[in-house]
Amino acid sequence: MSNEIKTQVVVLGSGPGGYSAAFRAADLGLDVVLIEKYSNLGGVCLNVGCIPSKALLHVAKVLDDAKDMAAHGVTFGQPEIDLEKIRQWKDKEVVGKLTQGVGGMAKMRKVKVVNGYGKFTSDKTIEVEGADGNTKVTFDNAIIACGSSVVNLPFIPEDDRIIDSTGALELKDVPGEMLVLGGGIIGLEMGTVYSSLGAKVSVVEFADQLVPAADADVVKIYTKHNKPRFESIMLSTKVVAVDAKDDGLYVTFEGKNAPEGQVRYDKILVAVGRKPNGHLIAADKAGVNVDERGFINVTNELRTNVANIFAIGDVVGQPMLAHKAVHEAHVAAEVIAGKKHVFEPRCIPSIAYTDPEIAWVGVTEREAKEQGLNIEVANFPWSASGRAIASARTEGKTKLIFEKESGRVLGGAIVGINAGEMLGEIGLAVEMGADAEDVGLTIHAHPTLNESIGLAAEVFEGSITDLPNAKAVKKK
Amino acid sequence: MSDIQKILVPDVGGDEVEIIEVCVAVGDSLEADEGIVTVETDKASMDIPAPMAGELVSLSVNVGDKIKEGDVIGEMKAASAESEAPAAEAEPASESAPAAQEAASAPVSEPAPTPAPSGGSEIIEVTVPDIGEDGEVDVIEVLVAVGDEVQEEDGLITLETDKATMDVPSSHAGIIKEVLINVGDKIATGGVVFKLETNSGAPAAIEQPAAPAPVAEAPKAEVSAPAAAPKVAPVPHHPQAGDIKATGKIYTSPSIRRLAREFGVDLTLVKGTGRKGRILKEDVQSYVKYELSRPKANAGSSLGAGEGGLQVIAQPKVDFSKFGEVEEVALTRIQKISGPNLHRNWVTIPHVTQFDEADITEVEAFRKEQNVVCEKQKMGFKITPLVFIMKAVANALSAYPVFNSSLSEDGEHLVMKKYFHIGVAVDTPNGLVVPVVRDVDKKGIYDLSKELLEISAKAREGKLKAADMQGSCFTISSLGGIGGTAFTPIVNAPDVAILGVSKSEMKPKWNGKEFIPRLMLPLSLSYDHRVIDGAVAARFAVHLSSVMTDIRKLVL
Repeated sequence: MSNEIKTQVVVLGSGPGGYSAAFRAADLGLDVVLIEKYSNLGGVCLNVGCIPSKALLHVAKVLDDAKDMAAHGVTFGQPEIDLEKIRQWKDKEVVGKLTQGVGGMAKMRKVKVVNGYGKFTSDKTIEVEGADGNTKVTFDNAIIACGSSVVNLPFIPEDDRIIDSTGALELKDVPGEMLVLGGGIIGLEMGTVYSSLGAKVSVVEFADQLVPAADADVVKIYTKHNKPRFESIMLSTKVVAVDAKDDGLYVTFEGKNAPEGQVRYDKILVAVGRKPNGHLIAADKAGVNVDERGFINVTNELRTNVANIFAIGDVVGQPMLAHKAVHEAHVAAEVIAGKKHVFEPRCIPSIAYTDPEIAWVGVTEREAKEQGLNIEVANFPWSASGRAIASARTEGKTKLIFEKESGRVLGGAIVGINAGEMLGEIGLAVEMGADAEDVGLTIHAHPTLNESIGLAAEVFEGSITDLPNAKAVKKK
Repeated sequence: MSDIQKILVPDVGGDEVEIIEVCVAVGDSLEADEGIVTVETDKASMDIPAPMAGELVSLSVNVGDKIKEGDVIGEMKAASAESEAPAAEAEPASESAPAAQEAASAPVSEPAPTPAPSGGSEIIEVTVPDIGEDGEVDVIEVLVAVGDEVQEEDGLITLETDKATMDVPSSHAGIIKEVLINVGDKIATGGVVFKLETNSGAPAAIEQPAAPAPVAEAPKAEVSAPAAAPKVAPVPHHPQAGDIKATGKIYTSPSIRRLAREFGVDLTLVKGTGRKGRILKEDVQSYVKYELSRPKANAGSSLGAGEGGLQVIAQPKVDFSKFGEVEEVALTRIQKISGPNLHRNWVTIPHVTQFDEADITEVEAFRKEQNVVCEKQKMGFKITPLVFIMKAVANALSAYPVFNSSLSEDGEHLVMKKYFHIGVAVDTPNGLVVPVVRDVDKKGIYDLSKELLEISAKAREGKLKAADMQGSCFTISSLGGIGGTAFTPIVNAPDVAILGVSKSEMKPKWNGKEFIPRLMLPLSLSYDHRVIDGAVAARFAVHLSSVMTDIRKLVL
C-alpha cells in the first residue's frame, strides 16, 4: 500500500536544521513535509547529542561541586547514584520534553511529518520507506538535512563494551577503567561525565593537544586543571589495536606518549569524529553531487548543483554544529520563499561543555597567524576576577583577538566555568564590527565572570585598572 | 635590468643626527638630489638627497631615528635606461658604497639595519596598481602563464579602461606561481592578479598586497525563483575560514549586510555616516535612492537601444559580398573602446556647432620668426600653431567660465573648474587618443611646445597612462595639418565643448577699401546646449578668434 503526497517543500531529516527549515518554510506560507526516520523529531542533537549530554554534565557538575566544597568547609556525605533514575530523568524530562515540543510545534504549523527512511527517486520525488508502507513525496523544492553519523575505526572490533557517543549517553553502567578515544569536544564531555560518576578515565588523542581546533594557550588551562580528573592524557598517540578478551579490552598504543605493551580497559568510548550522511539518501537519483567523503557542496544560498534542491547542516560541511544548521535552515527556507538571503556569518561559535568549559568564536590566534592578519591579543586572567575567586575557580581566562589597527574584535576565547554562556557577547561584537573601545565602554555588571570580556577590551585599550597596565604612561 | 642601490647618508657634519621628516614614500620616483629625508643637526636642518634618479625601493628609517654618515637609509632602483641615465655621475656617495649593483647581493656587512627581508624567495601577491579608475576594468589579455619567469616591470596582464588599454607591470622579479584572473574578468585597483615567487633578494616586503579587492564579491545575478535556473555551479562553502578577511573591512552589522544583499548593494561602495564610519541602514537606503534617481550614464551606450527612451529600429543585415568582393577587418582596440563613448556622447548631448574664422596672419608671422630663433638656439622643438590655439582657448575659458564646467551627475548643478587642463586629440597608428596638457594658463609657449612634443610622441608609441588622459576641461581636435574647411566635432564628455580646427587658407578680406590677403583659420566649436547658450558660444568663438588675431591680447 502506497501513499502519495504533493508538497511545495520537503525536508529530509528533522534535526535542528531540518525542523528549523520546515518551520521557517511553513511560517513563510509554504506547504511543508518533514521526513524523519526515527519516531521522535529532533535528530542527533535532541535525542543522542547536545541535549542529553548536557543533562549528564549537569549531574557531573553537581557531584564535583559538592566534593570541591569540602576544601571550603562544607562536607557532604558520599553521593548515592541511581543510574536508572538519572536515565529516566534524562530521557523523559529532558529529551522527551524537547522532542514532544518540536512535534507539537510541527502540528501547530501544519507541517506534515512522514516517518520513515527517505531516498530520492528523481529531482522531484522522494520515496519514504515507513513501518506502515511507502510514501511517495512529490516536491517542488527539497531541503536535505540528513546530518552526519559517528566515524567507526576499522580496526576496532564489535563488542558491547566498545561504545560511541550514543552508547555513552545510554549510561548502562559506570565502568572501572575506561578509555576515551579522541580528545575532542565529545570525548572530553563524556569523559567528564564518567569520571565524575566514578570511572577511571584515560584519554588518547592523535594531535598534540586536546580540542585541537582551539588555541593552545586556552586548552592548556583546561588540560592542567584536569590532570587530576583523568588517569592519563596521552597526546600525540594513537590506538593501533584492540583485543577484546573476556576479562577486558586490551589496547595497544603507538606514538609519543604510548604506554608499553597492552593496557586493559573495561570500556572504550570511540569519539573520533563524525562523517556526513550524503551517500545515504540516493542523492544521485536527483542529480545532486555528493563528494567522496559524503559532503554536498552548496552555494551561499544553500543550493546544491540542482536548482530546486538545497542542503543544510552537517552534510554541507564543517563545523558540524546545530546552531550553524539552524541558521542555514532559515536561509534555505527563505530563499525558497523568494527572499534574497544568503548565509554569510562572520563567525560561528564552538563550545566544549567540559569543566572548565572551553569556548571560542571568530578567528583563533592560530588562524589569524595563518591568514596573515595583523592582530593584537588581550588576555584577562580570572585570577584577577572577584567573581571567579569567590567561586573558587580562578583557573580561567578571557582572551580577545583584535585587529591591531582598527581595534575591531575578530574573535575570542574563554576557558573557565560558564565560558559557554559568556561567549555570545564576543560573537555579537564580531558580527557588529565592534572595536575594543565599544566593548570596553559597555558597562558590565560587577562582580560577574562576564565582566572579564569588558576588562580584556580595556587591556587592549590600555585603560585597565584591575591588572597591571602594560600600556600605562611611563613616568620619567 | 634593475640596479638596486643602497642610499647612504653623506657627511652630515656631526656625529648622529635625528630625522625630522620623511619627504618621500616607497615607490616614489625621485630625481637625483631630491630630498629623501630631512635631518636636524645642532646647527640646521638639511635634506639627505637621492644619489641618483630612480625609484625608491625601500626606506628603512622613520621620523625620530638617528642616523650618521655611512648609514644605509634605503634602496633605490635606477631610472630606466632611456631617461638620460645620469645615475653614474650623480652618485656622490658611490665611492664608499659597497658594490651593490647586483639585485641579488645580500647586505654586505652593513651596520645599519635593512629591514627589507632579503634572501630566500617568498610568495607574494601581485595586485593591480592604481589604474586611475574607480570601478572595475576588463582584463583583455593575460601575458604570462604559471611557471613563467618575469622581471620587475614586465607586463603581466592588459587591462582596458574606457579610455585606454594598459599593462599591469610585475612589482617584483620572480616566477609566476598562480594566475588568479582570466581574460574577460573584471578587476579593480588592489585586486590580486597573480601569485609570484620572488627571486631571492628581492625586497618583498615593500609592497604589502592590498587586501583582496572586496568588490570581487560583486552581486551575481541571483535566481530567486526556484523553478528557473537549470544548473547552478556549486561553490564550496567554508563559512568560517576567510570570511573575516573578506568582509571584515566593511564596518556594519549583519542586518545591514542582509539589507544590502536584498537591494544588490555593494557595501564597499557605501559611505558610512555612523560613528567611526559605520554603515547605517539609512546609508544603504540613501545609496539606493541616489542610484535610482541619477540619470543612467550608460543609457544608449549599449546596443540595446531604448533604455533612454531612444527607440530605433535595428540595422538591417546586409550581405555585402553579393555586390562585390569584401574583406572583414576587426576594429582596433581603441576604436572598440571609444566607439560606445562617442555614441553615448552623440546621442545624450544636444550638440550645436558654431563656425568661425580667425585671422592668424600676424601670429603665423610671429611664430615663424620665433622658430628661426628656436632653431638657432638649438632648443630642440618647434612652435606649432596649436600651442597658440591652446593659449587662446585657456584665455577664452577664463573669460567664459561656463565653457570650463561639467554637468553634475544629477543634472542639477554645474561643476565649475578653476583649472585649465586642455585635451589634445592625437592621431596615432592605433587610433585617436586624447592626452591632456595641464595648467595651460600657467605655461609659456616654449613649455607648451615641449610638452606637446613629448606627449604626442608618447601617444604615438602607445605609452600614455590613464592619468595622462584624465582631467581635461576642454578638447581641441586639429585637422588643420590635413585639410578641410569645417567639421562638427563630438563633445568629449564630461567636457561641455570641443574646438575643431581645420586647414588655414589665404583668403581675400575686405578692409573697407580693398581686398587684402589674410591667412584665415577655420574654427568649429561644438558645445553642449544644455549648458551653453548659443549667444555665449558665439561670444566665446569671437573672443577666441580675436585673441588669435592679435596674441598681445593674451597678456591683457
